[in-house]
Amino acid sequence: MKSSALRAVRKKTLIYFIVIVGLIWTLFPVYWMVKTSLTPDKLIYDSKPSLIPAQLTLQHYQDLFYTTNFMGNISNSLYVAGLSTIISLLISIFGSYSLIRLKFPGRNFVTKSIIISYLMPAAVLFIPMYVLVSKLGLADNKFGLLVIYPTFIVPYCCYMLLSYFKSIPISLEEAARIDGCTRLQTLWKIILPIAAPGIAVVATFAFTMSWNEFLYALVVTSSPSQQTATIGIASFKFSDSFIWGMLMRSSVVASIPAVILYLVSQSFVMGGLADGGVK
Amino acid sequence: MLQSNRKSELVLGYASVAPIIIVIFVVIGVPFINALYLSLTDKTVGASPNFIGFQNYREIFADPIYWQVLINTFIYFITDVVFKLIIGMIFALTVNERFFGRSVVRVLFLVPWAISGMVAALTWKWMYNDTYGILNQLLRNAGLIHAPIPWLSDPHLALVSVIIVNVWRGIPFFLFSILGGMQTIDHQLYEAARIDGAGSIRQFFSITIPSISSVIAITTMLSSIWSFNDFDNIFLVTGGGPLYNSAVISVYTYQMAFQQNAMGKSLSVAGSVIPILMVFMFFMTRRLAKDE
Repeated sequence: MKSSALRAVRKKTLIYFIVIVGLIWTLFPVYWMVKTSLTPDKLIYDSKPSLIPAQLTLQHYQDLFYTTNFMGNISNSLYVAGLSTIISLLISIFGSYSLIRLKFPGRNFVTKSIIISYLMPAAVLFIPMYVLVSKLGLADNKFGLLVIYPTFIVPYCCYMLLSYFKSIPISLEEAARIDGCTRLQTLWKIILPIAAPGIAVVATFAFTMSWNEFLYALVVTSSPSQQTATIGIASFKFSDSFIWGMLMRSSVVASIPAVILYLVSQSFVMGGLADGGVK
Repeated sequence: MLQSNRKSELVLGYASVAPIIIVIFVVIGVPFINALYLSLTDKTVGASPNFIGFQNYREIFADPIYWQVLINTFIYFITDVVFKLIIGMIFALTVNERFFGRSVVRVLFLVPWAISGMVAALTWKWMYNDTYGILNQLLRNAGLIHAPIPWLSDPHLALVSVIIVNVWRGIPFFLFSILGGMQTIDHQLYEAARIDGAGSIRQFFSITIPSISSVIAITTMLSSIWSFNDFDNIFLVTGGGPLYNSAVISVYTYQMAFQQNAMGKSLSVAGSVIPILMVFMFFMTRRLAKDE
């Protein structure tokens, strides 16, 4: 009896030990990013940086908002990420539903192609995509990104939605169909309300994927008026010198929307990650 | 009646799948085929391509830097995935237990995944800084080092440093995939094992691991593909340096295309790893098809 009590204490100790070490490891970089963003410049460049801030200032956030074009980059990101998420979701909802419920030749082939293109790496595609976008006359234009982003959002959304739709019992739809609903009405009135939480998670991930995208944005856009937030952040690096204060401040600002979205939908997200994952 | 119904299903089916087909076969497929073709040319930015056969491939295969970059890519994704799996598993086992504040801890563990890869890369680059970085300062305070560690400029250390960054950001993906898998395991299995006298280690290997093997397989596969193609992290943290000590295929491709202006050749670098990626994809699609 005594040994089992001892074992329980040892187990609890081990759990708390891992939790504490894990939290320090997980949160320290985030803390350091936020701390740097609030530190006056002369203290950032101190060869003996202190763990606890000696002095905090919001002055630099004002500089970021009023003296740089960063908020323009943020609004470009909202525009590109928002639109490409909406377009991709519409395409994916109709497409996935048809692939699950309608019988037509070639649908297995399409399903397989979706999985393969979900795995298709940007590293292979970014140069030809750049060539394609230039040919369309959309080089150095944020609209070019609206052409490219669905190429990774649509396969991801379809991949997730296929399994959501499949898990909805077909009997629900049959009842509606007997009552005279058309396919589209069934989708609108029966499927979408049931799948709404799942769709919300997929939308969250799709939005963050395009919000965080870096490589295509780097290749396609070059003038500040067209660039998104990720490129805006990277532009606080001039050749080899990094403006660390600005880099960390803009990083904090750009992280806020995605972190809030994740925290709001976290109870769904936990299941969603297990379902198939997102970059 | 039935006949027309089936016909309208066909029309509706193809009409609603058409946009997906356009995205996959036109917007991805055409550039992909074009990339394969351009890898056989001497294309540079602004100039029209001339067909030169397999010369680009011959040149890169004869270049020792290419092989070093390829080996780096393998070291990068394998080490990365192994550490993410092990640490993610330990964290998942921990937060699957009952303890005070568990739900808050779970949410906090998710944070690195919500932050973009490029923000993570920049933050770590700042922490690694030789002169002003906090990491060296902490190690000095602890009395572990006397001279600062050149995290990003030491040829042997640079690759390790970028791997640490990607492990940091990728652990939550493993953690929550594995946790999701563990939560579907029937508790009675563990009770039966306990009655039979199996200890926790035995239970872990005989019940937990077999039950979540398919989750582990999918998570590992996806993560391998992403790490194999990772660009943001290495490009921003080390730029592939010093020399090519931490360069991987994606970064090498980018530098060749946009800094050396050798587009055709850079595409042969990207193209040369397609067979490797096809192996990944083959296992992945088989795995997913089995799961359906």
